[in-house]
Amino acid sequence: MSIEEQYRTRAKELLSGGAVKMVIGYGKGSTSDRRRPLFISSTDEVDRLVLDDACIQNLSGYLVSEGLLSDEKRVAVFLRPEGIRAINILAAESQLDAEQIVIFGFDVSGTEVKALKGIHVEEFSDVINSIKKGAPEAKEEELFEKIEKMSPQERFSFWQEEFAKCIKCYACRQACPMCYCRRCIVDSNQPQWVNTSSHTLGNFEWNIVRAFHLSGRCVECGNCDRACPVNIPLRLINHRMAEEVLGAFDHFAGMSKTQEPVLASFKKDDSETFIL
Amino acid sequence: MTKILFSDKLDNCVERWKSAGLTVIGPVQRANISTYAAVEHAAELDLGLILTDRSIKDLFFPQSEPMLRYTIKKESIDTDECLPPSGPRIIFGARPCDSSGMAIDDPLFGWDYKDEYWFQRRNESVIVTIACTKADDFCMCTSLKMAPDSSKGSDVLLRPLAGNKGWQVEELTDRGREAFKTIADILQESSDPAAPLAVVEKKFDLDACVTWLQNPENFESRFWKEISMRCIGCASCTYLCPTCHCFDIQDEGDTYTGIRRKNWDSCSFALFTMHTSGHNPRSTQSARWRQRIMHKFNYFPGKFSVNSCSGCGRCSRQCPVDMGITETLQEISKLSQ
Amino acid sequence: MPMSETFEPEIIAFVCTYCTYAGADLAGTSRLKYAPNVRIIRLPCTGRISPMFILKALQKGADGVLISGCHPGDCHFTHGNYHARRRWMVFRALLDFIGIPPERVKYSWISAAEGVKFAEFINSVTEDIRKLGPFEQYSQLIEQTQAPASL
Repeated sequence: MSIEEQYRTRAKELLSGGAVKMVIGYGKGSTSDRRRPLFISSTDEVDRLVLDDACIQNLSGYLVSEGLLSDEKRVAVFLRPEGIRAINILAAESQLDAEQIVIFGFDVSGTEVKALKGIHVEEFSDVINSIKKGAPEAKEEELFEKIEKMSPQERFSFWQEEFAKCIKCYACRQACPMCYCRRCIVDSNQPQWVNTSSHTLGNFEWNIVRAFHLSGRCVECGNCDRACPVNIPLRLINHRMAEEVLGAFDHFAGMSKTQEPVLASFKKDDSETFIL
Repeated sequence: MTKILFSDKLDNCVERWKSAGLTVIGPVQRANISTYAAVEHAAELDLGLILTDRSIKDLFFPQSEPMLRYTIKKESIDTDECLPPSGPRIIFGARPCDSSGMAIDDPLFGWDYKDEYWFQRRNESVIVTIACTKADDFCMCTSLKMAPDSSKGSDVLLRPLAGNKGWQVEELTDRGREAFKTIADILQESSDPAAPLAVVEKKFDLDACVTWLQNPENFESRFWKEISMRCIGCASCTYLCPTCHCFDIQDEGDTYTGIRRKNWDSCSFALFTMHTSGHNPRSTQSARWRQRIMHKFNYFPGKFSVNSCSGCGRCSRQCPVDMGITETLQEISKLSQ
Repeated sequence: MPMSETFEPEIIAFVCTYCTYAGADLAGTSRLKYAPNVRIIRLPCTGRISPMFILKALQKGADGVLISGCHPGDCHFTHGNYHARRRWMVFRALLDFIGIPPERVKYSWISAAEGVKFAEFINSVTEDIRKLGPFEQYSQLIEQTQAPASL
């Protein structure tokens, strides 16, 4: 039985028994290479679920949509390892009760999809540990290396050209499971911290703020990068931040549902190399 | 025999137009995205794209526009108006779905208040469209009762020749004729046939959709929640759409000085209809998606007798979660049967 | 030979009340001279300093930003500066990756007794930023916000 069939059966069982009220998975998209988020609440819809190597999106963000989990019923969700880490972070930040999440874990290497065993988020620590050891690579490793080798002025010019394209659609924010603030910092105007207009200055500020607020929380799922309609290589910035918190504080986001957020905790002997 | 512009002569045309004082603008590839920008030479233009990622709306209604500068003094407030850059321009190589989008928005920007930012740019622009010989799965002009060679909003329509050597020229408006008088000697008479136009399948029954939307009983239909469950409420569709026109006015500055700007806004944002009291009449994403569809295919045509959609398909092409207008209207078509 | 105007950098400093600000006071009462280019903004603790402040200072045209507080272990509020230190490490890496030169944003620990260190810090940073020159890449962006739309 393929993993797709396996999971469809599992979804059917959980829905028919009332163990979960909804299954969030992937369905066929509007073209053959696209997949889209699918929300199933009845057993006769389970055949719409698909699972293959084109199922890339991180669906964990839907779990914090308003009111979804407030009836304390369980919801099942198809998640790749990044998505599972996202659940840990959301639970650690008190945004959801991990008990309510039933995980249909899967991982993709090449075109092969394999199931990850486990139901609740605690059962996936081995998987997450092995990813941490493996040091996740940025998808656009070449471009990342190129930027690292540039001088500050060159870097600024690079990002200036990229951010000049930004239209402040906030697709990056909306697609990110970790951007769940009801009132985002860009939405506040008393005081107004960042310019909301989409001139390049405002775009720089927005992207800097978002990257900062995601430091130590980003799971590098790539949702933001894919969502950006003007092709700004956003995940490079988030990757740099993930690298930084791993190197400086040995912090890998999403290890467990009780892990302390990196910027809400400290060690007395945190290294400091640049403070005069 | 028709007037033909051969593509190897395009650079001469660009030179001619530039000498006549026109800024030449067209589709280009810049930093990983295709958009409209001013060019110095024809070689910079990318005329082989099915459609640019960003729409021509950027040239008439920029994403952020300063309106006035203010300085607050002890006894007075000084303001200094900012007007759009002026100067005639020719937009070469737009698609019919882009130019029709601008024509759709004209009645809106001239409705209860004549928006001088929009009209100054409209009046100074000549739009030369190129009919489409290729389409992709997301194009839907025909479903909106338009076509790959629609002339709506266009000043000059060019039809690509079979063999890709140039275009048949169809001057549509006085402005178009004026601009092409400048290159009259570069055009040639020829009987070269035009290439076949792109075949764009109709994706939904627009009339049936509109009737369904106009029925007040369907306002509270469960359909809205089901169809919009995956919508994440970003503004990708709104900002790339040639006809979406909502804006927000922001003052950027401090107690002494600042600048008032007009910025794009989107009804997909949760804060779009947030009241100061905290009440939000469109507090769910399904209400916001319903608003989008209703506005484009019910309320807007109710006022202006034209749907607020040109069928370019950018919303569906770019949506991070594979939504967009097409599927919603297809489902509504089915429901209305 | 024409007289060239020396560039006077505009620098904003965010400092904590109980250590660095007191140190600045000490520098003042000790009649130590230090460069007038720095405008000091006093906060209760470095833990209060949000990276938004740094961005705001740059947005308003600062050529440099300084941040200073109590030494680790000496925070008036016990551990505000530990939180601040983590934030700074992360924010510094971010600014660096974005291309904002790290020389323009400086961090230090200056206690209430270190009036001399304060004066020296201000003087050396002002000189460093004077040598760097105005932050032109950023000022260009700020100017652009005042300009009309390009097309």
